[in-house]
Amino acid sequence: MTPEKFRGVVSTVLIVGVGISAALIGTGFVAALAIGWQGSLIGAAHAIQPSTTDFGGLPGRLAALEPAAIAQLGLLTLLATPVSRVAASVVGFALERDRLYAAITLAVLAILLTSIFFLR
Amino acid sequence: MTPQADLGIFAISIAAGLIGALAGVGGGILVIPALTIGFGVDIHLAVGASIVSVIATSSGAAAAYVRDRMTDMRVGMFLELATTTGAVCGALLAAVVALASLYVLLGIVLLGSAAMQVSRMGEESPPSDPPSPLAARLRLESSYPDRRLGREVPYSARRIPLGFVMMWIAGLVSGLLGIGSGVLKVIAMDGVMRLPMKVSSATSNFMIGVTAAASAGIYLGRGDVDPQIAAPVALGVLTGALVGARLLQRISNRSVRLIFLPVLVVVGLETIGRGLGFGL
Repeated sequence: MTPEKFRGVVSTVLIVGVGISAALIGTGFVAALAIGWQGSLIGAAHAIQPSTTDFGGLPGRLAALEPAAIAQLGLLTLLATPVSRVAASVVGFALERDRLYAAITLAVLAILLTSIFFLR
Repeated sequence: MTPQADLGIFAISIAAGLIGALAGVGGGILVIPALTIGFGVDIHLAVGASIVSVIATSSGAAAAYVRDRMTDMRVGMFLELATTTGAVCGALLAAVVALASLYVLLGIVLLGSAAMQVSRMGEESPPSDPPSPLAARLRLESSYPDRRLGREVPYSARRIPLGFVMMWIAGLVSGLLGIGSGVLKVIAMDGVMRLPMKVSSATSNFMIGVTAAASAGIYLGRGDVDPQIAAPVALGVLTGALVGARLLQRISNRSVRLIFLPVLVVVGLETIGRGLGFGL
């Protein structure tokens, strides 16, 4: 893989991540202005979460098209974007046959995933 | 939140994204006080929104910076090794270290480096010496296209071990205190490793998203990320960052420094204020 192509891939990962999350957050935000954060766009009767900071039960609340849930999915996508960028870089450096940087990037990815899932 | 407040938060976030993208920082310094003082948002929710704002600034701006060769990806990945390990150590130490004096110390360091920024104000790009053996071996030498100067500007990283240590400290401090991660990165790359200011800012921007993502899980789990606040912040910051990223190529290194300097002074004063117990 040429350095130019590599940059293109990393840049695309960032644009796609940002684009999807902006679309979801924007949709949730506009819908919330219309029917409130914990309403339902399809009028489904669902158990209301105690607060909008609770990310639990996301699939069910997404199925009810709850504005808060749509925005939360967008926020999760946004938080996952830098992680995806690091993961894409591991592959990119490996394809460039730059072993040193593939190893460095892999170590960063490992530290990142460990701290996201195990540090509390 | 009323629609008026939403609109106000959105507008301030656009400014935060714009400044953040140009200065290589996350915009938390603008977002947090604006939310708490301006809109009466609880400090925990404001910090949660600021983590979102850092990731939004970083990802929004870096997409353009990586494509335009403003970001040095090798410098970024190499130094992320230092910042992420530092951040983990900081998060683990946060429970056992007395933070008040640390805030004051960090504030003094930041104000000191603001003075250094002033002394470097006239310099458009650092002197280009041949790369050191270590820089050559780690491939921390490259060039970036400067549209303002209308040419490729070559550079190579100096004092790499010291820069790496500074980055570890930057990670440690942001893990401990939750602030200053962007400014310390720019200081380490510009001041210690002597990379061009625009490359320092763009590479810092590239890196801060990863540092913030490392701690995002903690804030999510604590219930500090509220879409009611974080959604207008994210949308505003992304808009500002996309505009800022288009601007960076066209302005001079000196202008980037002129934007970075007041940011540095404000963060320095805010940090000392926190250490002395003025809640922000």
